[in-house]
Amino acid sequence: MIKTDVIIIGGGATGCGIARDLALRGIPHCLIEKGDFAAGATGACHGLLHSGGRYVVTDPVAARECYEENLILRKIGQKCVEQTGGLFVRLPGDSRRFREVFLRGCEEVGIPAESISASKAMELVPQLNPQIEEAIKVPDCSIDPFRLCMLNIRTSELNGGIIFTRHKVTEIVKAHGRCVGVKAIDQTTGETREIHANVIINASGAWANAVASLAGCDVPMTLVKGSLTITNHRLTNMVINRLRHPSDGDIIVPNEAVCLAGTTSIPIVDPDKMNTEYQEVETIISEAGRMIPHFNHTRIIRAFSGVRPLLKSTKMDSHEISRGFQIIDHQNGLYSILGGKLTTFRLMAEKMVDRIMAFFNLKRPCETAEKPLDGQEELSGYPLSKRLEDLKDIVCECELVTRQQVEKIIRQTGTKNVGDIQHRTRLGMGPCQGGFCTFRALGIMNDMNVISPEQSMDILHGFLQRRYKGIRQVLWGDQLREEQLVEYIYLGVLAMEKPNGRE
Amino acid sequence: MGANEYDAVIIGAGVAGLAAASFLAEQNLKVALITRGEPTACLSTGAVDVCSKGDRPLSAIKKLPPEHPFHLVAEETLRVSLDKFQQIMKAAGLPYVGSIEKNRFILTALGTFKTSCLVPATMEASPQDASESLHVVTFKGLKDFYPGYIISRRKNAKCSIYDAGISSTMSLAAHFEERPFFEKFLLWLEKQNIYQDKIAFPAVLGLESAAEIVNTLAVLTGKPVFEIPTLPPSMPGRRLFNALKKNLRDKGGDIYWSWPVTGIETTDTVIETVTSFSEGHATSISGKAFILATGSFIGGGLTATREGIRENIFHLPVHIPGPHETWFDDNYFSMNHGIGRVGIAADAAMHPLGTSWKNIFVCGSILAETQILKNGCGHGLALATALAAAKSCAEYLAR
Repeated sequence: MIKTDVIIIGGGATGCGIARDLALRGIPHCLIEKGDFAAGATGACHGLLHSGGRYVVTDPVAARECYEENLILRKIGQKCVEQTGGLFVRLPGDSRRFREVFLRGCEEVGIPAESISASKAMELVPQLNPQIEEAIKVPDCSIDPFRLCMLNIRTSELNGGIIFTRHKVTEIVKAHGRCVGVKAIDQTTGETREIHANVIINASGAWANAVASLAGCDVPMTLVKGSLTITNHRLTNMVINRLRHPSDGDIIVPNEAVCLAGTTSIPIVDPDKMNTEYQEVETIISEAGRMIPHFNHTRIIRAFSGVRPLLKSTKMDSHEISRGFQIIDHQNGLYSILGGKLTTFRLMAEKMVDRIMAFFNLKRPCETAEKPLDGQEELSGYPLSKRLEDLKDIVCECELVTRQQVEKIIRQTGTKNVGDIQHRTRLGMGPCQGGFCTFRALGIMNDMNVISPEQSMDILHGFLQRRYKGIRQVLWGDQLREEQLVEYIYLGVLAMEKPNGRE
Repeated sequence: MGANEYDAVIIGAGVAGLAAASFLAEQNLKVALITRGEPTACLSTGAVDVCSKGDRPLSAIKKLPPEHPFHLVAEETLRVSLDKFQQIMKAAGLPYVGSIEKNRFILTALGTFKTSCLVPATMEASPQDASESLHVVTFKGLKDFYPGYIISRRKNAKCSIYDAGISSTMSLAAHFEERPFFEKFLLWLEKQNIYQDKIAFPAVLGLESAAEIVNTLAVLTGKPVFEIPTLPPSMPGRRLFNALKKNLRDKGGDIYWSWPVTGIETTDTVIETVTSFSEGHATSISGKAFILATGSFIGGGLTATREGIRENIFHLPVHIPGPHETWFDDNYFSMNHGIGRVGIAADAAMHPLGTSWKNIFVCGSILAETQILKNGCGHGLALATALAAAKSCAEYLAR
């Protein structure tokens, strides 16, 4: 059995942020994540570091938090933030009144917003719809959520934090009515671990209610699905927002070589049962296409959905639900933290850890806003020239990932999961969506004896089915050709059999 | 006839196009084959699947759904097309083994068995069941072949690794054609302690002279040697393509390479000319008859858009079984995706339905209702429909 002071359940941005904060304040802790880092809403968002502009009209408190955190993250996380800047563009027919309210809101909250002409906006982003009436420039940025989580975790690890990924909490252990620990099952080996602590933090996002119910507690939430599409090209160097009341398909974010466009907003019940619908993809593409017309013709490489774990609300339009966050003290040693957004994860962690410090009656101020994220020195952006040096060992041609990189991740993490390699190297994130390189990555794992050959086949089946789920809705044009080729390779050339017993 | 005027113009350089062109050229017709570039055949295993849904291709074909294009082709046409193919490949030094009476297996790079009919002689020794023990020879750092996948399924398999300092299949294959490389490799191979029944190699044993190299290795080791197809680019696929290309040239056909069709000239009843804008200027090729063998989506004969599906050259009517939602089944592995049925519907003369042009014929994977992956009928269907289309085309020209 492991003993520590604080257990964090959930390895999204919030959980990883809490781990970093605890580490900097010298509190021993253990983080347990059922999948990989950033596997829930964190990794399934568009990676927008909000300026706050999106919320100035509907939720000024959240807007202010966003802007303050935007400034902090740009300072402490230079290697995961790209300072793209953002535009809110007004299309013919969009309300002029909203523009006034928007500008006033920005002024009240303190977000620098510069009103610019349509032609100036076209100079900044030549792909914009030439019919736009005007634009407002705000300090939106693009952020890499996977990298963000890894760097937060790095601080925890450097300070002795215990991290278990692919461990699912199955039980919250109680003594005299208080939560004193958890039992977690190692999803790879099936082994159960027991970890005890004085406090347990439930930062499991969309799964918060399921985790809380293990302790007999209830967490009121509204789950709202948001879907996104990824283009094969970087169609804009700035974040593009629609200058109107928050609605479907009104944000486009550049990220590395691609763009993400979204979102939709549909209430759901079960975060594990979620599909991206054809209609959502259609909506996103046509709405994004109104801001950047090329969206209508460009190659879409993937569609996916995430779940926003929002505070329970009776509001009918889910775009209106507060993006604020809440900490619930269940009065039995368990805390739940929910709501919020990627942009405000650090603030959420700070407030959470403040509560923990009060609980332990300790006084040490939060340092997460001043200290740069650890481990950034190893990141050098994406040095194409460096990766081209040894072209012969490239195993992922779309994203130029080398065999050595893949081997290094396998050695470091002992992973049996292609997703882990993907999140750490971008393997499989390009146009072929892992069609070629997954066969290779698993082959390498096989050769390195980290997985049994039977496992590699199971993983390959699972991978292909998941991959397919994400591209099925966007199959036309070149992406359909690519998909047919991948199908031809696996089911034709390699004569892959159907998975046994499970369809 | 002018330099750019032909009896028959075939569009597409896959197995269907090359075979159709060859079948016409051997009848002393003036034939042009035009192509945008390399065909999907270069990505294939090189093996000729006829119908893989059973032991016997001929009875498996009879069980295919009534709309399947195999039912448009007489059994005799299928037989003759396969015979002709085997003759061509034999003459090219890349003999194929197998018979239309019975399917056979080739071992894949995943260690599974792929059902096929005619296979390159370099795969003849591929095991037909799990009983034989295998020794897999592979190459260090080769990125498209991982023996672990095979060894996992065959408990009695072993593996040895040769360090050639090369990671691509194509580069390795080129090296195998070079004497010093090959001799050095043979010295290494002799020292390996191989006691298994058979020796398996990834398909990198030469660009063109694979059959010869496999023989040399078999003689040296005293064991049957065979190749396993790898991920594309596939050497057996390329060898097949190169052999068919050479055969067509030998028979007097003209091949127009990098020649994407960008325009057509037609009357109400016939197609007269295709034009291409390449190398900075437009050129035209005229024909008395045309054969469309541009392939399906991968090959580029068909393109899907958000609005629908089009045939890219003549805008022939495309048979589409349902709306976008039905193109892809929920389950990836079901092989029941509606998209596999999309294509150009034709009559028994391989004449496309729904067009008023009399001088156009169609063959290969662009045909409707093929479900090629599900039925395992790739190159076999291409050969049979190519012969059928060539026959109809010749009859039309004789009129």
